[in-house]
Amino acid sequence: MRILLPIKRVIDPYAKVKPLGDGSGIDTGNVKFDVNPFDEIAVEEAVRMKEKDPSIETIAISIGGAECEDQLRKCLAMGADKAILVESTREHDPSTIAHELKAWVEELKPDLILMGKQSTDGESNQVGQMLAALLGWPQATYASKITIEGGNIEVVRETDSGEETLTLPLPAVVTTDLRLNEPRYIALPGIIRARNKPLEKATEKSNKEPNIRYTKFQSPPARPAGRKVANVTELLAALSERGVSL
Amino acid sequence: MVTENALRGCSFFSSTPETAFAPEDFIADELLMIQMAEKFSREEILPQVEAIDQQEPGLMPALIAKAGELGFCGIDTPEAYGGLGLSKNLAARILEFLSLNGSFSVTIGITSGISQVGVSLFGNEAQKKKYLPLLTSGEQIGAYCLSEPNSGSDALSMSSRAEQKDGKWVINGTKMWISNAQWATQFIVLAKVEDKVTAFIVERDFPGVSIAREEHKMGLKGSSTARVVLENAEVPLENVIWEPGKGHYIAFNALNLGRFKLASMSIGPAREALRCAAAYASDRKQFGKSLVEFELIQKKLAESAARFFAAESMIYRTGALIDTAFDYCKTLDLPEIDANRKAAEEYAIECSACKVFATEAEGFIVDEAIQTYGGYGFTEEFPVARLYRDARVSRIYEGTNEINRIFLADRFLKRVKEGKASVVASGDSFVSELAGAAFAKVGDAPGQAKVGALSDLLMLSYAEQSARLRAARFPRYGAVYDLFLNWANVQAGQAYQQVTGEGVTIPAPRSANLGEIAQAVVRAKGPLD
Ligand SMILES: Cc1cc2nc3c(=O)[nH]c(=O)nc-3n(C[C@H](O)[C@H](O)[C@H](O)COP(=O)(O)OP(=O)(O)OC[C@H]3O[C@@H](n4cnc5c(N)ncnc54)[C@H](O)[C@@H]3O)c2cc1C
Repeated sequence: MRILLPIKRVIDPYAKVKPLGDGSGIDTGNVKFDVNPFDEIAVEEAVRMKEKDPSIETIAISIGGAECEDQLRKCLAMGADKAILVESTREHDPSTIAHELKAWVEELKPDLILMGKQSTDGESNQVGQMLAALLGWPQATYASKITIEGGNIEVVRETDSGEETLTLPLPAVVTTDLRLNEPRYIALPGIIRARNKPLEKATEKSNKEPNIRYTKFQSPPARPAGRKVANVTELLAALSERGVSL
Repeated sequence: MVTENALRGCSFFSSTPETAFAPEDFIADELLMIQMAEKFSREEILPQVEAIDQQEPGLMPALIAKAGELGFCGIDTPEAYGGLGLSKNLAARILEFLSLNGSFSVTIGITSGISQVGVSLFGNEAQKKKYLPLLTSGEQIGAYCLSEPNSGSDALSMSSRAEQKDGKWVINGTKMWISNAQWATQFIVLAKVEDKVTAFIVERDFPGVSIAREEHKMGLKGSSTARVVLENAEVPLENVIWEPGKGHYIAFNALNLGRFKLASMSIGPAREALRCAAAYASDRKQFGKSLVEFELIQKKLAESAARFFAAESMIYRTGALIDTAFDYCKTLDLPEIDANRKAAEEYAIECSACKVFATEAEGFIVDEAIQTYGGYGFTEEFPVARLYRDARVSRIYEGTNEINRIFLADRFLKRVKEGKASVVASGDSFVSELAGAAFAKVGDAPGQAKVGALSDLLMLSYAEQSARLRAARFPRYGAVYDLFLNWANVQAGQAYQQVTGEGVTIPAPRSANLGEIAQAVVRAKGPLD
């Protein structure tokens, strides 16, 4: 069985970001980058599956500049078997990434695509769904538990109204949520071994143009200071002033 | 290509290199290793500091075992003996981030450092194969036994004795202040054979070895410190390291590298203290403002960041130099032991300078952290009180800072005599000019106060040059460098006056915006990076 793990390089999710002065993008000077935390959960899950069934092969793939190698190496250090860097410096949106991944899926023929439900930078939450649609594959989003059984996969997914359990035939696309697992400590020997694991560099296969163009980046307006109320009566009055009826 | 240039101990004094290694030069997957060390500290160590300080049975050995599984107990030990074979510089950087708590720091620092280095540099193949893998894996813990009740700084006056009897070594003596004693199963013991210092590997289970009760300490309560008593302790003949009478080389070279590592172990807690102080200063409000808006609090954060910056700059510059020395000495036509000795000695002065500077920077930073917290800092509710108590011993062990201050100038002048260093200063800074002038004027047989001041000038020259070279490459450090320079100039002026008895005019300080630096510290959640 082969698992494909799409990986995105994102700005350190705990860093405070600010837009560039001219609004053309985000200031990336002196900020750190990491693997999108949801993707890291996907890698962890795949590595755990492989620990149970050594015949599983895991491939991490990232689309972006040469610098994405750092994040792919991290995935290799976590235990992924091999990595592919699709070098691209052009603008992307969820649809271009989904098209590019589709082309790679056709070549690599994975049985399962495991990826973050969204990235912590753009927070679009679209690539997994689009990719499943383009491939005509079943999908399960927001996975909090995954079990493989024969040719099927059982996914417990988190929804606003509770947990839902789906059984999907493979091949399928599954996107991960936070509660799926807690990524491991990466042991230093693993990091050293990753230096010798294969990392293939490739060019883009798809030339799909983005549907979305980013025109301007700006900070959200500063929130006006709040007001202190003396007691519940005043609070209720203030709420009804704003049209909140109880 | 490593050339003879690799052996340039003390060259900072008389010349300015074009560039020097800076922490920014650690590359991608090295950063991942450092990040894992910090994660380990934050998730496994810091949440348990109280249990650690109470020496909860089994806890520390379990933490060491876990650290060992992740590869943290043998970072720079050769792969053939279970280590990772990485550079000493990277090992030190990783150790810095494993050192956010002092008790864990000293435990792992010793078992991964000074208790291995004697065997790994000077032991024979059988000793390396037998003893090192048990330490690098974290299965066992090691200790290093030099000090005695009546011989601390004057270590070579030790009274422990070893003699051969019935095909064994028999050792008698008491070793004092032995870190890790409670948990260790392997001890490097220094004892005299006739009147020559000799190093032995002693296992806990050998007949005649016993461990006394734990010392009650002011800090590092979670680390084990106890006497190791050797009463007719029986040690196999093959457990001598190198050969009888070479123990002082082993002890001192273990100390050279130990001092370098201790420097990074000292800025680890300082990093954490500054992180805490910055967070507290931005949360706590008085007079309707965050503390960080008050200039006197800004000054504490900014000065701490400046001192930290200089310490960090000199430590990792030194680590890279040590690594090149080891790489170069391997290429020489020398027996391995001699090559190792040559490499470990080359940057002894830089190592001492790092130890003194970093431990004093740590002392300053933890003290200012307490002050930033005010009364809350004085309670055990907040983490800075522990950081403060734990930091105090850094200036005492691995050679007190006084002993290091005697060693620095003394060794430097020895190198000058041997033609391996020049007393003519580069003059690339005010500090350097004063250092050159002070050495030129000191005269014969200076007293200790003057020797100590000369050592300060050596140390400040090295720190200032290291900080300057790094700030030149990374302009974001310009402001902290300026602030550090102002302080270093004043310190150098005082030291110069001490040596020469003359007055000196200190250059006007560079202006540094304390508020901006303090805000940067808050944003960086600790030292600037
Ligand atoms: C927590 C802790 C852990 C330790 N761990 C270890 C360990 O694992 N292994 C080990 O071998 N040792 C260990 N030590 C011992 C440590 O290295 C010694 O305490 C240190 O070397 C100082 O020796 P001393 O305490 O006997 O002080 P002393 O040598 O008595 O010094 C007392 C004071 O006099 C000063 N002084 C001494 N000689 C001179 C001189 N010639 N000129 C000027 N000033 C001088 C010193 O600087 C100091 O200020 C540890 C100590 C502590 C507190």
